[in-house]
Amino acid sequence: MMPVSPFSRQRRLALSAALLPVLSTSLRAVAAEALPPALRIAAVSRTGPSGKTLFAGSSALVAEQGWLAAELGKLGVKLEWVPVTTNSVAVQVNEAFANKSIDFAQYGDLPSIIANASGLSTQLVVPGGSMNNTYLVVPANSSARSIKDLKGKKIALHRGRPWEFPFSRLLAANGMTQKDVRILNLNPQAGASAVASGSADAFFTLSDAFLLEDKKVGKIIWSSKQAPQNWKMRAELWGDSAFLKKHPQLAQLVATAYVKAHQSAIGDNGRENYIRHEVAAGQSRSLVEREWEGDNTDWNERWAPLFTPELRAHYAAGAAYAQQARLIGRPLDTSKLYAPQFVEQALARLKLQNLWASR
Amino acid sequence: MNPGVLTAGARGLGLAEHARKVVQSGQPESPAPARTMRARKQRGLVERWLDWRFSGWTSPLLVLALWVAATELALAPEQILVPPWQVVTSGWELVQSGELGEHLSISLVRLLSGFGFGSVLGVVFGLAVGLSPRLDAYTAPTFQVLRQIPSVALIPLFILVFGIGETFKVVIVAKASFFIVALAVHDAIKSLPVRYLEVAAMLRFSRLQAIRKVVLPAIVPATLTGVRIALGRSWMVLVGAELLAAESGLGQMMEMARQMFRLDVVMVGVVLTGLVGLALDRGFRLLEAYLMRWQRR
Repeated sequence: MMPVSPFSRQRRLALSAALLPVLSTSLRAVAAEALPPALRIAAVSRTGPSGKTLFAGSSALVAEQGWLAAELGKLGVKLEWVPVTTNSVAVQVNEAFANKSIDFAQYGDLPSIIANASGLSTQLVVPGGSMNNTYLVVPANSSARSIKDLKGKKIALHRGRPWEFPFSRLLAANGMTQKDVRILNLNPQAGASAVASGSADAFFTLSDAFLLEDKKVGKIIWSSKQAPQNWKMRAELWGDSAFLKKHPQLAQLVATAYVKAHQSAIGDNGRENYIRHEVAAGQSRSLVEREWEGDNTDWNERWAPLFTPELRAHYAAGAAYAQQARLIGRPLDTSKLYAPQFVEQALARLKLQNLWASR
Repeated sequence: MNPGVLTAGARGLGLAEHARKVVQSGQPESPAPARTMRARKQRGLVERWLDWRFSGWTSPLLVLALWVAATELALAPEQILVPPWQVVTSGWELVQSGELGEHLSISLVRLLSGFGFGSVLGVVFGLAVGLSPRLDAYTAPTFQVLRQIPSVALIPLFILVFGIGETFKVVIVAKASFFIVALAVHDAIKSLPVRYLEVAAMLRFSRLQAIRKVVLPAIVPATLTGVRIALGRSWMVLVGAELLAAESGLGQMMEMARQMFRLDVVMVGVVLTGLVGLALDRGFRLLEAYLMRWQRR
């Protein structure tokens, strides 16, 4: 048997006394950082041909790269993709932000403005990555050639969606206001059947316009392809402000992952890879290609994750429009909507400061 | 024998079978004796509460209390679970801007025109199939199948056929009320007590006389009930249709508000839809009581 040293007890006490503060500080650190079990990102999804849920846009690239899921996994946080359907992305995402069931969402400009004006607090984390153009479709047998011919006519438009702002620009550029046409507030599906059956004289929407052309029930008389840049709708990565504040390190991972996705999209085969994803998610290749055909935007520019003066001007103008169109009840200070620190950090970490620096 | 001919007896009205059943079961046709004589000796707290003239407010006030409690405890974010007073304020703002009045009046016009068409057609059709077993036999399968299709499920189809204008909304409301009213009238005729027609036969009424003096007055109560149910159903269907496709109306006000993330306005719509439904039902009950006042003499 080992003799018990008279000092051992004291030494043990001293040791634990020395350890105690260390232990408690580390406990406190854990409490402060208490990571959520999961990080949830909402993204537009379609049901793919195999019945699998597939995501659209840059979220699909992030999911494919798997880097974000792995990095979060190291911290014991699970990455969850929350699918939202194209028919009502705006409503679903805003309601999900309100009841805290998502932390990030890749969605449009006007819905974000509406959310922030009604008391939610979200911030733009990674700009760019939106490929969408907007289109004005009329029934195949219509004689209308431009928006001017639709004065006093019924136009289907889903209100509060990101393509409403380009629509207002189009009206304004032709010296018209919303009062000059009759807006039918219909979701994209109902709008398509309304224009196909001729009960609406026109339909303002996204690339689903091509499907109407393919079925020979509609023809596109205007698209935003050649329109000024600030007419284009934006859809980008937004985060819940409270989450960004509470878990900046997780937000950083998300931002870095999206910047990496943007980087891969402008790299070799990036464009082809992107098309492949869209096709896998149920879009036809010809539709994706037609969406970009004749577009005046440079491919690399589309993916620039930069908080440019143009971007800020776009949101300021969008908020002004929303208030004037009474989509929101009070003015919104859009300068609070940006959280550029994450992208800056990501660009620095990935050494990509000069990749999009042309502007 | 030709079942299409109205004989002096009950057979022509398809009542023989019913009469037989009544005889076999030995049930009296008249309703049970009035329950007003129930013992009122024990007046416990619950019963006294139930007798109090305002006791009908119990459940609405409980719902309101739950609502207030849920908002106070912040069970859901304020953007989603709007407190009642904010709903009242938003409602008042909508009234003052005239927006609410506009939506409500357009919805009511749609309701009344659709319901008017539907219920008149329903009464006519119900009478025709109730009085003519042959017509009944011809139309019953189609009628029974169409009746089972929920009106809401027909909305997309109706949009394709009638467009998204007013026609579609009036037609869908008319469809909703037609089947309920037609069925009520049909069943009322089928369940007429045989002895009514025996009396008519004894008095040597002609077929027209029998219909005018016996059948029509006898089916009024059941018809009114059917019409009242149809009114309520039409209102629900209309608001549903407006949610999907309309430029204006209460349902559209709610849908638009949801898109604008104004759940307070959505709640205004929800509360108002319920209140309008209740008012329509109560109003019709009063009308029913007035029309049936002769019964109470």
